[in-house]
Amino acid sequence: MSAQHVAVDVLVGAGATVELIACFGVAAMRDAYDRLHFVGPSALGALLIGAGVIVRSGPSIIGLKAVLIAAFAVGTSGVIAHVIARAARISETGDWTLRPNEATKVEEE
Amino acid sequence: MSVTIWHLAAIALLVGLGPCGWVCVRRGFAEGLVASQLAGTVAALALLVLAQGEVRQPFADLALILIVLSFVGSLVAARFLEESR
Repeated sequence: MSAQHVAVDVLVGAGATVELIACFGVAAMRDAYDRLHFVGPSALGALLIGAGVIVRSGPSIIGLKAVLIAAFAVGTSGVIAHVIARAARISETGDWTLRPNEATKVEEE
Repeated sequence: MSVTIWHLAAIALLVGLGPCGWVCVRRGFAEGLVASQLAGTVAALALLVLAQGEVRQPFADLALILIVLSFVGSLVAARFLEESR
């Protein structure tokens, strides 16, 4: 087994494991805000699997598609987490900004 | 046909769709939206590893289209969630 095969196995295995943990994490958490913490790691899994495809195929059409998919997942995971959290907050309270009784105290020195 | 790491990864990713589906069915709108967004990413990656494992390029095209449409669909659903108060 060559070093390339080992690298591919490690990258793809790690990527699939991260995705699996994210899926079970989403099912295990209590509310939407806790579940959102597992959307971010899914981008890491996409990055690992994309890297595995690149290592296996090199500069090719499927390698380019893997790069595009990984880049899209990394670029949009933070955006979609913010959009969903904002929408959930608005649906609960009518506004996404802090209410007076929720303000955090800042201690001045 | 021998089972490769690509097939094993595809099976693991498809297993991951189960919990996402459970959340979509059993929980509320916001929780289901989070789960469906994650499921879109996972399904796209499953198509990508299947494309590599089976040497079928069209699956990778589907993966690329799916991840883009999943993002757009989640944005639209988030808009509905905002107005569902």
